[in-house]
Amino acid sequence: MKKVIVTVLANDRPGILASVSGAIFQEGGNLDQVSQTLLETQFAGLFIATLTKDISIEDLQAKLRQTLAPQGMDVLVKPIDEPDTASPVPSEPFVITCFGPDRKGLVAEITAILARHKVNVTNLRAMFEGGDDPSRNLMIYEVDVPVSADTSALSGDLRTRAAELSLVINIQHRNIFESITRM
Amino acid sequence: MIHDREILTILGMLNNEHLDVRTVTLGVNLFDCVSDDIDRLCANIEKKIGGLADGLVPLCNRIGEKYGIQVVNKRISVSPIATIAAPFGPKGMVAVAHTLDRVARRVNVDFVGGFTALVEKGIARGDDALIAALPQALAETERVCASVNVASTREGINMDAVLRMSHAIKEAAALTADKDGLACAKLCVFANIPQDIPFMAGAYLGIGEADAVINVGVSGPGVVKNAIDRALEADPNMDLGDIAERIKRTAAKVTRIGELIGREVAGELGIPFGVVDLSLAPTPTVGDSVGEIFQSLGLISIGSPGSTAALAMLNDAVKKGGAFASSHVGGLSGAFIPVSEDLNIAEAVSKGFLTIEKLEAMTAVCSVGLDMVAIPGNTSVETLAGIIADEMAIGMINAKTTACRLIPVPGKKAGDMAHFGGLLGFANIIHVPNATAQGSFVTKGGRIPAPIHSLKN
Repeated sequence: MKKVIVTVLANDRPGILASVSGAIFQEGGNLDQVSQTLLETQFAGLFIATLTKDISIEDLQAKLRQTLAPQGMDVLVKPIDEPDTASPVPSEPFVITCFGPDRKGLVAEITAILARHKVNVTNLRAMFEGGDDPSRNLMIYEVDVPVSADTSALSGDLRTRAAELSLVINIQHRNIFESITRM
Repeated sequence: MIHDREILTILGMLNNEHLDVRTVTLGVNLFDCVSDDIDRLCANIEKKIGGLADGLVPLCNRIGEKYGIQVVNKRISVSPIATIAAPFGPKGMVAVAHTLDRVARRVNVDFVGGFTALVEKGIARGDDALIAALPQALAETERVCASVNVASTREGINMDAVLRMSHAIKEAAALTADKDGLACAKLCVFANIPQDIPFMAGAYLGIGEADAVINVGVSGPGVVKNAIDRALEADPNMDLGDIAERIKRTAAKVTRIGELIGREVAGELGIPFGVVDLSLAPTPTVGDSVGEIFQSLGLISIGSPGSTAALAMLNDAVKKGGAFASSHVGGLSGAFIPVSEDLNIAEAVSKGFLTIEKLEAMTAVCSVGLDMVAIPGNTSVETLAGIIADEMAIGMINAKTTACRLIPVPGKKAGDMAHFGGLLGFANIIHVPNATAQGSFVTKGGRIPAPIHSLKN
């Protein structure tokens, strides 16, 4: 059975999830995982489904668009390849927080360093409301740092760049947050 | 996913509210070091501590860096030296103190505790030698801390030991007169001393403990103060029951950090994790003060009427939060009120809000006792012994730990300023009524019998 990922973008309003999940169900899709978020007024949803009917990706996308586009939704369907059989890279979860004055390219600057050190970002929340108030401009990266990574070099690179950008940066193992908040 | 608000709250505690791991203390059992030859004993002690503690400081720094939390102090506690070096006289005890000081410098820990005697029921030969050696040992070493347990709920108060300690304190002060009696800042007299305190000067490794163990002390008076301030800002009508609940929850969070760091250090060293001691331990820094909490609770100052009730509530809420968050809470766990180490408390003394009598009353409900209290240099041995005996009685009757860390500052009188430096801070010398009196009560000797409620078997 094929697995697909359906991406939906729309102006947020009540009923989007009902329409999308209903349309996927109509085409024989069984939902495996769903994640949705709101950024300002925009809805973004990711739906992973296993197809129980024999239908091509193109046909599925066309059918979903036919139902959902008139409701103001952009839909993209992609197949999910078989999972890589190679074992995942052993890694440790860290949380990187950056505060500081807003300027262009902050996410690009930080993520470039992370990419260079083969650090995988598992979650990013960023909010830039402009101005110099650090609490109104923050980035929270949840990342997986490979155990083979040179953590002091990574930390050094991040801190150096953060200082150049006038950012306050904290790099902490995720367990400190977990142990305090989950009892 | 961890919520943004949780992350930001914790970052605020770490970066703005002085939350830190105040100490990671490595307990080292020295019983397998004993010898009838003093040189061999000292060599064995140096070898054993060195072997276990060599990597302690870099390890704590690395783990602190990993979690973004400072491990401020790294310390060592050892088996009671009065027992370990029992065959030797005062000279031998001083030699052991020098050995401990040397190894502490070598492994770069800031203090080593355990120059200790347990004499609540009687003074054995080794105890006698250690107490005799105390003034010289503390004056000649930098990093050695001493404690003597003179009372317990089970055994009563050994008044002979109380008087001996009063003499020892006076002598230790005299030997360090040029530093305002600094040696006394490294000496605690206890009732009901716990075996696993990570904080100095009272840390030692009890004889019922493992060969080596990691105990952790976490602090954070600033975190508690800010939690109270935030709660009252959100709801100015919040009552004391709700505030106690807020303190309890905050204490639980702080304790979790100690548990995390302690377990990781112990795991890396391959030795057991002992306890977390969550104690609101101030430093002479604005925002890291226990005294400021009293003002957040609506009192004019620590020491004003209501302070004992406020401290009782604070101490209990901290204990409850700690007990919920860790299965192994130990040490002192509560609130410290060390006068010179807390800017706000020192100020309360200088402004007259806090007297020695009120301090003593408050120690009935805090987690330690008369801590870092500078008293006039001419306080008589008898008066000093009386103050100690009173404090021990509070501990004995209430089945709690109490301690005295009193500094009779040579050549200075009430109102003068005493400076101890660094974390030990500075304070106005507190007025002691009838300081020079020489009543005979404390010289009668013997033991004050244990209270009726000690008969539990």
